[in-house]
Amino acid sequence: MNAIVALCHFCELHGPRTLFCTEVLHAPLPQGAGSGDSPGQGEQAEEEEGGIQMSSRIHSHSPADGASAEASSPGPKKSDMCEGCRSLAVGHPGYISHDKETSIKYVSHQHPNHPQLFSIVRQACVRSLSCEVCPGREGPIFFGDEQHGFVFSHTFFIKDSLARGFQRWYSIIAIMMDRIYLINSWPFLLGKIRGIIDELQGKALKVFEAEQFGCPQRAQRMNTAFTPFLHQRNGNAARSLTSLTSDDNLWACLHTSFAWLLKACGSRLTEKLLEGAPTEDTLVQMEKLADLEEESESWDNTEAEEEKTLVFPEGAEGQEQIKCPTDLSSLSDCGSWQPRKLPVFKSLRHMRQVLGAPSFRMLAWHVLMGNQVIWKSRDIDLVQSAFEVLRTMLPVGCVRIIPYSNQYEEAYRCNFLGLSPQVQIPHHVLSSVGPTILNKIEAALTNQNLSVDVVDQCLVCLKEEWMNKVKVLFKFTKVDSRPKEDTQKLLSILGASEEDNVKLLKFWMTGLSKTYKSHLMSTVRSPTASESRN
Amino acid sequence: MPSRGQNEDRDSGIARSASLSSLLITPFPSPSSSTSSSSSYQRRWLRSQTTSLENGIIPRRSTDETFSLAEETCSSNPAIVRRKKIAISIIFSLCEKEEAQRNFQDFFFSHFPLFESHMNRLKSAVEKAMISCRKIAESSHRVQFYISRLMEALGEFRGTIWNLYSVPRIAEPVWLTMMSSTLEKTQLCQRFLKEFTLLIEQINKNQFFAALLTAVLTYHLAWVPTVMPVDHPPIKAFSEKRTSQSVNMLAKTHPYNPLWAQLGDLYGAIGSPVRLTRTVVVGKQKDLVQRILYVLTYFLRCSELQENQLTWSGNHGEGDQVLNGSKITTALEKGEVEESEYVVVTVRNEPALIPPVLPFMIERRNPGPMGSAGTPEGTAITDLCPSLDKEESRRPEQSSEACSMGFQEPALGSSWQHQGTFCGDKGCEKEAPRDGCLRLSSSEVLGAGLEVSQQTVHEELKGEMSTKLSERSAAWPCPDRRAREKAALERVTFQIGSSVSPESDLEGRAQKMEEQLKACRQCPELAGSPWAQPRATADVAQDQHVSGCSFKPGFRKNTCCPQNQSSERDKDRLDRCFAEDRGIRTNVVAGVAGQLSQSADSSVSSDAAAGTGESTLEKTKGLCLNDAEGPLLEPVPNRCVQQDSGFSVAADVPCGDADRKVDFRMEGDIPRNESSDSALGDSDDDTCASAAPSLGHRSDRTEESLEVELPLPRSQSFSNQSVRNFGRSLLAGYCPTYMPDLVLHGTSNDEKLKQCLMADLLHTVHHPVLDEPIAEAVCIVADTEKWSVQVVTSQRKVADGVKLGQDVLVSSQVSSLLQAILQLYKLHFPADFCVMHLEDRLQEMYFKSKMLSEYLRGHTRVHVKELGVVLGIESNDLPLLTAIASTHSPYVAQILL
Repeated sequence: MNAIVALCHFCELHGPRTLFCTEVLHAPLPQGAGSGDSPGQGEQAEEEEGGIQMSSRIHSHSPADGASAEASSPGPKKSDMCEGCRSLAVGHPGYISHDKETSIKYVSHQHPNHPQLFSIVRQACVRSLSCEVCPGREGPIFFGDEQHGFVFSHTFFIKDSLARGFQRWYSIIAIMMDRIYLINSWPFLLGKIRGIIDELQGKALKVFEAEQFGCPQRAQRMNTAFTPFLHQRNGNAARSLTSLTSDDNLWACLHTSFAWLLKACGSRLTEKLLEGAPTEDTLVQMEKLADLEEESESWDNTEAEEEKTLVFPEGAEGQEQIKCPTDLSSLSDCGSWQPRKLPVFKSLRHMRQVLGAPSFRMLAWHVLMGNQVIWKSRDIDLVQSAFEVLRTMLPVGCVRIIPYSNQYEEAYRCNFLGLSPQVQIPHHVLSSVGPTILNKIEAALTNQNLSVDVVDQCLVCLKEEWMNKVKVLFKFTKVDSRPKEDTQKLLSILGASEEDNVKLLKFWMTGLSKTYKSHLMSTVRSPTASESRN
Repeated sequence: MPSRGQNEDRDSGIARSASLSSLLITPFPSPSSSTSSSSSYQRRWLRSQTTSLENGIIPRRSTDETFSLAEETCSSNPAIVRRKKIAISIIFSLCEKEEAQRNFQDFFFSHFPLFESHMNRLKSAVEKAMISCRKIAESSHRVQFYISRLMEALGEFRGTIWNLYSVPRIAEPVWLTMMSSTLEKTQLCQRFLKEFTLLIEQINKNQFFAALLTAVLTYHLAWVPTVMPVDHPPIKAFSEKRTSQSVNMLAKTHPYNPLWAQLGDLYGAIGSPVRLTRTVVVGKQKDLVQRILYVLTYFLRCSELQENQLTWSGNHGEGDQVLNGSKITTALEKGEVEESEYVVVTVRNEPALIPPVLPFMIERRNPGPMGSAGTPEGTAITDLCPSLDKEESRRPEQSSEACSMGFQEPALGSSWQHQGTFCGDKGCEKEAPRDGCLRLSSSEVLGAGLEVSQQTVHEELKGEMSTKLSERSAAWPCPDRRAREKAALERVTFQIGSSVSPESDLEGRAQKMEEQLKACRQCPELAGSPWAQPRATADVAQDQHVSGCSFKPGFRKNTCCPQNQSSERDKDRLDRCFAEDRGIRTNVVAGVAGQLSQSADSSVSSDAAAGTGESTLEKTKGLCLNDAEGPLLEPVPNRCVQQDSGFSVAADVPCGDADRKVDFRMEGDIPRNESSDSALGDSDDDTCASAAPSLGHRSDRTEESLEVELPLPRSQSFSNQSVRNFGRSLLAGYCPTYMPDLVLHGTSNDEKLKQCLMADLLHTVHHPVLDEPIAEAVCIVADTEKWSVQVVTSQRKVADGVKLGQDVLVSSQVSSLLQAILQLYKLHFPADFCVMHLEDRLQEMYFKSKMLSEYLRGHTRVHVKELGVVLGIESNDLPLLTAIASTHSPYVAQILL
């Protein structure tokens, strides 16, 4: 909680004084929320920006250069302090508590080190013990402004057998810049602070009673009625709160209590905020990664002696390569293939320019429909690059690449196959209107006003749009097994009744994540759901 | 396709926002680079930063708190204006029923921004009255005029507050209810979808519903972050969205005000420029209006709030209740007579003053683990068996009178009781040989700590050790405890600060362990002897305490203690063995884990812990009734406890001992104040860092080593959902009249609305309830009588007297979404699936907005028509998509200028 809690005292000799004050120090950067859940890059960049700023500001008044700060700090001079307006002994470094989980630190001193905060606390202290006083002089009150912060103040008396009126006046204040938060927290703060006050008063009362029992002051004072009051002051007026409560650990105790108060108040209300589901592409990618990990684990198990860091090629290719019965040299070649040179095809658009619109359309059509695309070339890099570009048209789950092989691989094993020129291809005939999405992709590629990034976003949109249709179709046909007539109806609702579109949807269905499919199979399947409607 | 209002400017949605440069005064523009970060996160982070105090204050706009009574004409020279001071105070007299009082107070404090806003209105009314009454020459008239204006304003204020408090609320806002209750989700989906499709069929013939939904999606933007895809898999069911972990973490590390955040979400104030939006549905058909309102609560989204009560003083048992901060504990205690038991009901108030764990205490207590557990045993040994029950039954008084240091805390006393007294006596007596594992697991933890502290010099006391110490020292106030301690103190030599190089130290320790191991083997009867047990029994005791009597029988079974009598032996030796024994435990256990010898420093303890945790898991299962998922037998008495699902408890380890977090949570809500670290303690760094200060902090913390470290007490968090919040209060039902603050409500006619709306909007802009400047206040008015949906804004006064605002352009995206859902529903897709699809379609809109923003990124100036042509987005979608884009790419609005 962004607040300062302070104990203040109205010293009979020196007026309002800040006795003890607990501040909160947060880590300059928000912690990443766990490994799998770090905020996005942009966000991090932004945080970093903030972080640098913050940390530099922190350094500007860190205790490391506290010496100079202290020298110039506007704190009261020693001579100005009596026992009553001092908390920690001279030279006491103060207290600190770490909340490791949240990286929040709570530090206590008599005064804040930061000059600006010093004056804010000082002002709040003065106001709480002079003008902004609750009727009856004991109780809670709220005051403040944007410049000096907002203050919740609770004034109270502490018994002191030697003080004028047998009591001394104190306040506990909480200062925040967030007015609304402070007031929202009012009932909580009031309860907790009153609890602290009650206990302080209780302790003091015991001491008071003991002292009164030993030496009744009232009687004594009556007897020495003419003694000038000042005389007494010199002797006893300045008693510390420690002695009034007879608690040597009072300040440590207050530190812990204040720190706790700040922590509890800061975490009193929490919110639950939902975020969107991951896309199918994300899911499939993660599933593949998990599979790879599993695989690598089993590797580890069998060959425990070997070093753990096996390098796996990225994505699906790796898996395919392992199965790929090609000669070793080419495999290792493929395996270690990295985009070391600039890719031959920079983007879909580039490819389209290279191939020419009609050929590209033909190619794209087959890619989208899930037909096998075989790319024959002597140049492995070129094939790789072509597939890298073409795959972006498909959902991740639909991509099965064998980047380069020395023999033909069946279509069920891969829809992208790179072959060397000499390899014989069994007779497959290519046939050819096109699916809606193709027209849209073409339109985007054609439009020179669109940057490559926009085209990328456009592809994401289109793919997601069609994946959503795929989900519906999957649910309808595979999970619920609905009749064919209905399927036709559904397809027209989806705007995908043309043959090509249907074909595409069916192909894309193979790219749905396991997570999604199994979820649908298990939880959403509820035959009663549709029947229960009226 | 859909089109409404042919006369209107087709580009109006964008043109309006674009033409207003004033709209762009967002106080803290988010960086444009933030591609994947949600604006909700940004808002919250900025809020915590701008209200931060730690680096001095960040200057903010000053609110005008004084009355300005000068007319414009004579205000030029302030010297001339006579300063008058005026103050208004409002007194709420509450009804006598205590509950009603509390309700109102809760409402008042949680809804303070709204109260404040109405105070401001009252204030400006008074100002106005004062200024205008000056024009009246005759004084009696003037006063009359003034008073009447004042009373009018007051009446207004009173009525508004009254309405705000008492207006009918939508009992189950769809989104919030779906979020909080997972059980009824299917039924909820069914109900929502039924209503939703009904509306699509019935009131969308003239695109009314599509227009309304377009407007709501355009302005109440908080739905956008809820569909932004994440890059991690869903936790549970696919349909269930995940709570944002980054926001959760932010709230922990940089607390902000969740109420404030929720209010902003509800008003849709998350775009750029910041707009504050409300929606009113007008119509005589109450039923229809209510239906619309109900459905809209699915699209008007915000976060769900819960209240957490943090407690620090001790273990809440299963079924423990917390009432207004006081805990009611029922525990089964052993009676005086053998075999008898009785139930102790304790009502304790958690003390507000928290006893500190002072460093000197830690130092003195370094033998602590041993001292506290050991010495008592030493004393207990003499009168061991006979005293056992007495000791126990005596305990309550003991604990209550134990507070020598003035802390009146029964809580402490009783936690101590488990720790100390149980340890001392019961443990010894009831030790069973085959309990070995249990013993190991628990004593091991102790052992690890002790081993470090005793055998390997204190300066490298780390991690668990210190926290354990601190914890134990937390129980220090017991006077008798202290006395007993001294015995141990005399015997233990401390070498605080004697710095030994870590390596040599490690070796030394290993060697010592070896020796101990040998020694232990030589005295096997001691291996399982009392010295190892205290912790175990403490745990047992605790478990028992926690789970009521259920555990008892099992415990009984094990209650033979063959070697216990051995404790009559030479005390010194025992004491020595005590220490050694722990070392051995550690050793043995670590041996199981097979990694002790090479483990360094703090990892000794954690590794060992890991080892034991694993090895003893099954065996201890029977004993640890509660910690189903805590492999490590709970080493600490102040532990969290299980509960039912509506009521969650978590143990929190604030003082840095992340590795010791044992998670007793089972199901139910996941409270925020709970760390997710594994119980097996792999975070050595954390422990070191946190623990070091207690002793070695001077060397460790170079930069900020000034302060004395005091650990925070460990905490538990109790959560409950029923907290007053805007999500439940500002989504209202069918109201008798138009209301100013509500995010959503319905009313029968628009008379009052026409009368007040403009003023309300202006007021909203001038006195934003969000405590930050806003650019525009907007009200969506859907009229089911005229079948019109209009957007009224504070920015443009409509000259036309008939129309309130501008008609809404229906987005094709929205209309096709509606049709799709309707068709799916008609094809008997289950409701859950339809809702999933709905979310998918909303996500599509988000993707389209990404495309739009990407397109705009490269352009400084874009003609609206071009967007449609180029991106294939229909122009009627543009206002919607632009608004969505503004939540993740704030520059969008600027470019469209």
